[in-house]
Amino acid sequence: MRVTDSAFNSSFINQLNGLTSQQYNLQNQVTTGLRIQAPSDDPGAMEDTLNDQANVAAQTQYGNNITTLQTRATSIYTVLQSLQAASSQAGEYATSAGNGVQDPSALQTDGSEVNGLLNQVVALANTQDPSTGQYLFGGTASSQPPFVATKDANGNITGVTYQGNATVNQTDIGSGVSVTVDIPGANTTGTGARGLFTDSQSGADFINHLISLRDDLNSGNAAAVTTTDSANLQKDEDNITYQVANNGVAQTHLDAASTLVTNNSTSLNTMISNSSSANMVQTMVQLNAAQNAYQAALESGVKVMQLSILNYLS
Amino acid sequence: MFGLLGTLNLAASSLQAQMTGLEVSGQNLANVNTTGYTRQRVNLGTTTDIGTADGPQGTGVEVTSIEQTVNALLNSQIQNQNSVSGYWNGQQTALQSAQDGLNEFLSGASGSSSTGTTTDSSSGLSSQLSGFFDAAQAVATSPTSTSARQTLISAAQSLTTSFNQISDQFSSLNTSLNASLSGNVTSANQLLTDIAGLNKQISTSEFSGGNANDLRDEREQDLENLGSLVSFSSSTGANGSVNVAIGGQTLVSGDQVADTLQTYSGTNGNLYVQTAAGGVPLTLTGGSMQGTIAARDGTLATLQSGVDTLAGTLITQVNALHSAGYSMTGSTGANFFNGSNAGTITVNAALAANPSLIQASGSATATGDNTVALQIAQLASANETALGGQTFQASYTQMVGAMGDDLQTANDQVSSQSSVSQMLATQQSSVSGVSVDEEMTNLMSFQKAYEASSELVQTVNAMLETTIQMKTS
Repeated sequence: MRVTDSAFNSSFINQLNGLTSQQYNLQNQVTTGLRIQAPSDDPGAMEDTLNDQANVAAQTQYGNNITTLQTRATSIYTVLQSLQAASSQAGEYATSAGNGVQDPSALQTDGSEVNGLLNQVVALANTQDPSTGQYLFGGTASSQPPFVATKDANGNITGVTYQGNATVNQTDIGSGVSVTVDIPGANTTGTGARGLFTDSQSGADFINHLISLRDDLNSGNAAAVTTTDSANLQKDEDNITYQVANNGVAQTHLDAASTLVTNNSTSLNTMISNSSSANMVQTMVQLNAAQNAYQAALESGVKVMQLSILNYLS
Repeated sequence: MFGLLGTLNLAASSLQAQMTGLEVSGQNLANVNTTGYTRQRVNLGTTTDIGTADGPQGTGVEVTSIEQTVNALLNSQIQNQNSVSGYWNGQQTALQSAQDGLNEFLSGASGSSSTGTTTDSSSGLSSQLSGFFDAAQAVATSPTSTSARQTLISAAQSLTTSFNQISDQFSSLNTSLNASLSGNVTSANQLLTDIAGLNKQISTSEFSGGNANDLRDEREQDLENLGSLVSFSSSTGANGSVNVAIGGQTLVSGDQVADTLQTYSGTNGNLYVQTAAGGVPLTLTGGSMQGTIAARDGTLATLQSGVDTLAGTLITQVNALHSAGYSMTGSTGANFFNGSNAGTITVNAALAANPSLIQASGSATATGDNTVALQIAQLASANETALGGQTFQASYTQMVGAMGDDLQTANDQVSSQSSVSQMLATQQSSVSGVSVDEEMTNLMSFQKAYEASSELVQTVNAMLETTIQMKTS
């Protein structure tokens, strides 16, 4: 084939451009660590990477949700422990009164202790979430104290009004997985999440039962304590125990979900890396090959271009 | 026998012929780097011999023609190839701009994990979409948290800004592509005028015989340039003229421009090409004009429509949920987003000014309720009928992938067409290109012949002198 100077020059320039472009791309991959940067580099891998990145972001958010719920569940558990202690103490006073060995003044002393427990329980019922300031046991009506106490002239609580509702929030902790750690203060609907203090399903009505116990102790009505208050308090204790168990289950669930989120994020990041990251060893080898080819092209090209019949004409 | 003087004439014809050969080689060498130049060749022939008793006797040499070494088939292939290359170059330019407008690039390594390097998307819509839904999740988890609500507003504003920017970019790109088409039409019309003018000049120059080689080179260059802009068919007419037709419409006939091109606005507001005088809409089949039109009406339009549908569906679905919810002040009925598409979507200004007005609750009396916020967050995994049964994220990434596929195809085609063009150029150069070595060899050949003929003149001259001295002595 007849090869002219312009054909040689044009071909040489094209080859150099191709090799320079190849080196540019490979050097860029080495510098960024990315095999692909734009959708046109590898459309399929780009689609996978974007979807995986969105999933990683979602997993991170699920992780944040779990952390928030764990904090709230821990706060609720702390209250539940205090309530269990109060319930246990109230039960002891009721049992003690039922023995029939205490005189009226001793019963009144116990009544006074129960009144203290009552105040403590009402305060616990209006516990706020330390991080958000929201009331833990108002259901979703959590911006105001859920229990408003009515007091007599002596400052003793004679009843409480529940301002919250029986609804609890569900929170996503995974794709399609929702949980709740919230407990409504009262639920008299007979359905849904059990109320912590008042619940029609279990018959619990802790605050009012404490008021009855206190009043019966103060009035020396040991029979009422034995026949009515003790049984009622047992329902309250059972209900609290149920809530403690539920809280434990929720926390276990959250721990498992947290592990799952971490694992998911790890495997998603691996998938992203597989799709978009450059294989450094392979890329460096390719870069070396491109550099060698470039050097060879330059050397051979320059040698050929230097030769001409003009060099031999005198 | 035609004697010494006849021999002197023979030598003179040789000197003239070798000189012409020298000039042609000089012309070739002078244009060794001229784009589009076709090497010329001088054809020599013996002059008419004279019959003598001893047999026919030669009378010398003459230049029979100076012609271009050209392969018409190769030139035609190059014109066609230019149309194909122009088409893919047009597509590549438009789609590259679309990819830039989408701004969906992976940035460099942002950190590393035990599993390897992690990457991050810069500021593309994909991360904004997931950021919005994740922020809604955070509100669902802490419905009364002011910071969570503020974060949701910020995420929504980032998302709407991205939608607006993409829409603006696509709109600007559409305008640029229409302007580019208009520019191409102007360039094509100029080339058509030039080709008709060159037809006339060639016809005039060659009327008295010979070849208008340089004018033909110039016309060939114009035809190749026209091929880059638009696919055309050509035919050779009388007097060496070239007739040009585009889309079946004759635009150059001999030395006349029968019609020109002009743009017209289609029903979608975009520009198309028609004949100026005839007003016949043209169906283009190649060249950068058609490449631009194909990218604008194909990938870009699909992308623009897809992003608008995505934004419209997001507005509809989020607003349907949000307007039924209740804010922390108990207000209801407000939309979260305003607008109807990617270009107009904004966050409700009242909500942006006061995030407590976000209607995250499903109950007028329960500010801590998260029903609506959770429903909005869960839209992230909902399959939307308006998006072909896909989620927002999947629908968008599929758009990105489809655009990437089209650009990758255009890149591959540009690369492979470049190889084909290079191969054809090499073949053309092989036939028509100037070789310095070859021309220098020809130069020496003509020089030596010239020297030999000069020697003959001197010899004849000496012989004539001898003859004259014989008479005078």
